Amino acid sequence: MDAALKLWVVILAVGLLNYLSRLSFIAVFARRSMPPLLGRALQYVPAAMLTALIVPMIAAEPAAGHAMAFNPKVAAAAIAGFVAFFTRSSLWTMGTGMAALWLLQAVS
Amino acid sequence: MRRLLASPDFRAGFVGMLPACVGLVPFGLVCGVGAASAGASWLAALGMSAFIFSGAAQILAGQMLAGGAPVAVIVLTCFVLGLRFLMYSAAMAPHLKALPARWQQALAFLLTDQAFATAIRRFNATDDPRSGAQHFLGAGMALYLCWQVTNMIGFFAGNVIPAVWSLEFAVPLCFLALVAPLLRDMPTILAAVVAGIAVVALGGLPMKLNLIAAGVIGIAVGTIADLARERWTRR
Repeated sequence: MDAALKLWVVILAVGLLNYLSRLSFIAVFARRSMPPLLGRALQYVPAAMLTALIVPMIAAEPAAGHAMAFNPKVAAAAIAGFVAFFTRSSLWTMGTGMAALWLLQAVS
Repeated sequence: MRRLLASPDFRAGFVGMLPACVGLVPFGLVCGVGAASAGASWLAALGMSAFIFSGAAQILAGQMLAGGAPVAVIVLTCFVLGLRFLMYSAAMAPHLKALPARWQQALAFLLTDQAFATAIRRFNATDDPRSGAQHFLGAGMALYLCWQVTNMIGFFAGNVIPAVWSLEFAVPLCFLALVAPLLRDMPTILAAVVAGIAVVALGGLPMKLNLIAAGVIGIAVGTIADLARERWTRR
């Protein structure tokens, strides 16, 4: 498939599925309640899916012979995670996380 | 329309979202850069931010496209990632029940992680669904506008941003801001830890299938731990 066409198919399909998910219980199934097991499982979607995205982004491939080398991204993410846990603020998380990374990259 | 834009609830929602918008600027820029490096035209990049309107899905789709994954796998993985919107939708539904269908359709379109987090707090604090809905519309529109602008700036000016800024780190930080506050009970912590281990352990799978596999395993472990905890406390 042509790359541009492939991208547009992805945009339309993902956009439509996202919108239907957003609309689901607000409009489409408004008269039904959530099946209990589904409701229970959905509670764990953000924690599981987003963690699966986060880990590969911060755990960079270790350089040869430095398998245990200090990774400033892991340390900065730990600090940012701590801030996020207590402040629940995306602005504070972003600010401290980026500042910590720049600082750690400057000193290491 | 003008009366709506002038309503204090709409304005409060719009202004109240601005600090979160500032926090999202780096994320929006990275999404625009990601669209450019996945080979998107400016119109396709705008299509991603305007129609998908979910940074996590945009980043994921861009990465998987660049990695040569088939359309079906990309769409399926993004769908599982977007399942969290089902949960947000169910939580919002009782508050939006009394509103006209047009309002429900518009507000559903603006339902994102950040908008949900603020809206649900607001709805729980007020008895007036109209006031809550106007507040949500303001907050959602602030996010939507900010998202389109930052994505486009990232797309066109991304190559000007110095690499030493490590702006790509904004993406995991944004997800951390969503995940870390959730880690307050054992099943959720287990779901996150297991998914994090699984995504690395299954890194050898082709087409980035490790993402969806790790997500599903984490969701299953969290659900089982939740059921086990309930059975345990009932005794």
